[in-house]
Amino acid sequence: MKSVEKKRRKLRICIVGLFFVFFFSVIGIKAIYLQAFCPWLNDRALEEREKSLIFRGKRGTIYDANGREMAVTSADVESITAHPRHIKDPRATAQALSRALQIDAKTLNVKLESGKSFIWVKRQVGPRKSRTVKDLRLKGVGFISEHSRFYPSGTLAAQVLGFTGVDDRGLEGIEFYYDNWLKGSDHKLTVLKDGFDRKFDTEENTDMSYSGKNLILTIDKTIQFITESALEEAVTDFSAKSGMAVVMEPDSGAVLALAHAPVFNPNSFGKFDRDLWRNKAVTDPFEPGSTMKIFSAAGAIEFGGCTPDTIFFCENGAYQIGEDVVHDSQPYGWMSLGKIIKYSSNIGSVKVSEMIGPQLLYKTLRDFGFGEKTRIDCPGETAGTLSFYRRWSKIDAGTISFGQGISVSAIQLITATSAIANGGMLMKPYIVQAITNSNGQPVESFGPRKIRRVVSAETAEAVRQMMKSVVEKGGTGEKAALKGYSACGKTGTAQKIDGKGQYAKGKYVASFIGFAPAEKPRVVILAVLDEPQKNHYGGTVATPVFRKIAYETLNYMNVPPRHEKKKLTASVAGDQLPMIVATVNGSLSMDHGE
Amino acid sequence: MKAHYKSDKIPQPPIAGSIQPGYDVSLLFPVLFLVGIGIVMVYSASSAVAAKKFESSYYFLKKQALFSMSGIVVLVLCRHFPLKLLRSFTYPLLVLAFLLLAALHITDLGISVGGAVRWLRLGSFSFQPSELTRLSLIVYLAYSLSKKQDRLENFYVGFLPHVLVLSVFATMILLQPDFGSVVILGIITWIMMFVGGVRISHLLTSLLVLIPVGCLFLISADYRMQRIASFWDPWQHAANGGYQAVHSLMAFGTGGIWGVGIGKGYQKLFYLPEPHTDFIFSVIGEEFGLIGVLIILGLYALILIKGIRIAMDTEDPFASLLAMGLTAAIGIQVCINMGVTLALLPTKGLTLPFLSYGGTSLLMNMASVGILMNISVNSGQLSADNGQLSVNSYQSSVKLPVTSEQ
Repeated sequence: MKSVEKKRRKLRICIVGLFFVFFFSVIGIKAIYLQAFCPWLNDRALEEREKSLIFRGKRGTIYDANGREMAVTSADVESITAHPRHIKDPRATAQALSRALQIDAKTLNVKLESGKSFIWVKRQVGPRKSRTVKDLRLKGVGFISEHSRFYPSGTLAAQVLGFTGVDDRGLEGIEFYYDNWLKGSDHKLTVLKDGFDRKFDTEENTDMSYSGKNLILTIDKTIQFITESALEEAVTDFSAKSGMAVVMEPDSGAVLALAHAPVFNPNSFGKFDRDLWRNKAVTDPFEPGSTMKIFSAAGAIEFGGCTPDTIFFCENGAYQIGEDVVHDSQPYGWMSLGKIIKYSSNIGSVKVSEMIGPQLLYKTLRDFGFGEKTRIDCPGETAGTLSFYRRWSKIDAGTISFGQGISVSAIQLITATSAIANGGMLMKPYIVQAITNSNGQPVESFGPRKIRRVVSAETAEAVRQMMKSVVEKGGTGEKAALKGYSACGKTGTAQKIDGKGQYAKGKYVASFIGFAPAEKPRVVILAVLDEPQKNHYGGTVATPVFRKIAYETLNYMNVPPRHEKKKLTASVAGDQLPMIVATVNGSLSMDHGE
Repeated sequence: MKAHYKSDKIPQPPIAGSIQPGYDVSLLFPVLFLVGIGIVMVYSASSAVAAKKFESSYYFLKKQALFSMSGIVVLVLCRHFPLKLLRSFTYPLLVLAFLLLAALHITDLGISVGGAVRWLRLGSFSFQPSELTRLSLIVYLAYSLSKKQDRLENFYVGFLPHVLVLSVFATMILLQPDFGSVVILGIITWIMMFVGGVRISHLLTSLLVLIPVGCLFLISADYRMQRIASFWDPWQHAANGGYQAVHSLMAFGTGGIWGVGIGKGYQKLFYLPEPHTDFIFSVIGEEFGLIGVLIILGLYALILIKGIRIAMDTEDPFASLLAMGLTAAIGIQVCINMGVTLALLPTKGLTLPFLSYGGTSLLMNMASVGILMNISVNSGQLSADNGQLSVNSYQSSVKLPVTSEQ
């Protein structure tokens, strides 16, 4: 009996044992199958923990001409992301996030319930808020550190620099124009993530080779500051609607300062009117008015055989052309070309243009670069309007010669004037002088580029002399005269066109274009004020801007001032004496010519 | 018959005793090896989780090391605990298991984790009554089946009482709820009834009744149906139901043949929900590869072979059934846990004996091994009480190594 039971037990134990043999075999076979024949499982695992983290290299820095930072990128912000598939309770998560970040819970809830693998909850959140969200310890909510663009000088040169959007892409200004250089390259970093989608065990995103390139501008922060201060003061003093001022180095075409008023802060561009974002000196054409007379005069000397002493009859203040009458602010009789410029006679200018004819006037203006883009490295440049001379009516030829019926951009105007200041060579204006890599080594540099010779050196010199007289006593720009430096210039007062194509009453653009020192111009300065209220004459409104910018900039650039002889010994140290004497001599000899 | 039995059996113990001084090395070695690997793997698998939850990556390592020490003590105690006494403790053990299970629900000592009450708070430790229940039930079945072995053919004697006891415990454990433990208890009961000599027709017919009941049970709850669906095609449900299975499979696949190296696995980093308990085998698969997996499987096979050998070689029916029950319990846990990690079975939270983190589980399994060793060497003691003649020489031969151990 016992034996039977024992035998039965042994048999049944064997059967149970066989079951285990079977199950262990199945387990072993499945393990062998998975681990020896399923390499795709590893691919899946890699895909899951490595994908979807694309890093963008750090955006390049923008420096001024002296290596001072104007736009920098720092990595102190984080963006909050979510992985809806890992969120068990989207509603609670949405509510917690909306409370912490002050965003709409409903929209977020919809996004969280979308079943997408990845969404942005909020981009570029400051350290404090991201800390708050981290403390909530929400499952499926992640953080990505991101770069944020910062403009250390705030509003300074805002319209030139532009700004970047939340995706680290340039949206305006230099940031937009040079975006391909500045932006860091995208690269997939093999970032490993754990089950909570947090990355771990990866080198931080510091690889410089993915960083964007740096820009070195021709803009000098100090000159920019001088320019903006002077411009803002005038805009305030004369209650102008807006204003702009440009400083250019005439020999190279490098833009040293480019100012607009009112300003905006690129660090918080969204809070400002979009209208302020534009670099209007490049993008917006305006009718320049009398500043154009210097180019008509240059054409007359170059092509019409005139000299500054050639005389024209100025019709005693009123000159009928067809149905239109051109007026001067004061009646003049016979006047030399020099005096026409000095006193800014419109009728004189018309006579000059009649003498050289529309074809040559057109050629002269085209040669100076009007009616075509300067190709300065700023976005949205306008070509202005200069219609073909065969389409001019008789009055057009006349008014264009004194700057009405033609529109130009500030950058065109200052570039053309630079050609006069530098002896007749039209230069290509530029604002970025070099591109460097993240180690500071230059990868590209942009020097002065000649476009064409517009007028001979003699013609340019003759025009300069005429412009110098403008700043002297009795000239329309006498208020632009500088203490210690000789200067040349030309005023401009243009009536604005209203919406219907008519000249609007009481709406003017007052401007002054000039350069200094007269003998060897170092800076060309253009100041334009739009709709000044208290006075509309360029000679009154825009000259102080020129004077301040020129004086302070030349001082800053260590251009030795011309001292009157009696002050010389008193204020200047001995070792600087010979150079100054030379300058004094030069200017004295020029003074004799007047 | 008796003579044959004597001559067959008597020479064995002294030989076994001389080779294995009191402790069956062929059983002890794989167990200690697994416990050792367990400590290392619990640390590897849990350090990231521990660092996040407890701000110390050693949290689970320290506790598991402590459990292992206690486990060895328990093993030694059970190895020397008189089997006779154990048999007489059958009903007190059953009552204790019943009271502890009841305590989960009627006292405030129950710890609720994720909606399930499975642990009792005992001072600074927690205890899992269902683990003790398993041991108690095995002892009871061994006792009852061996006592009634002449009448087991009778449905009311051999089948019904055991199934009734099982259903009492099953109901209480389902209340926690812990479906996985109930399945294990059921399988153990059936195996022990089968080995004990209950009629196969009773066992199979009852199974035929249970299958439709089980199907109804599955259909009755939506989440169970979903679980089955995600078991069928885990990749289709990788985002929710199949998440654990998919990541476990990825762990094995990533491990390949040689593994990624200890501590270098990825799936334990919050991809696998319980890397140091339910899915420690996946972590081993990833870090030690197929080689590691087969070694672990081999160690369990050694334990099972040894356990089954003990059950077969033991004359005493109680000891034999007890050995079979304890061995089967370990084997079933291994099969279910590995089956789950390899996506052969639907996901169920069950630990891997000796390897997984968990105090109660480790202590109970070590106790099982201690009892198995006890049976392997001392089953003669019981035979003596049963009035068998082989006692004296057997006893003395066994005592020698035990004393020599000191």
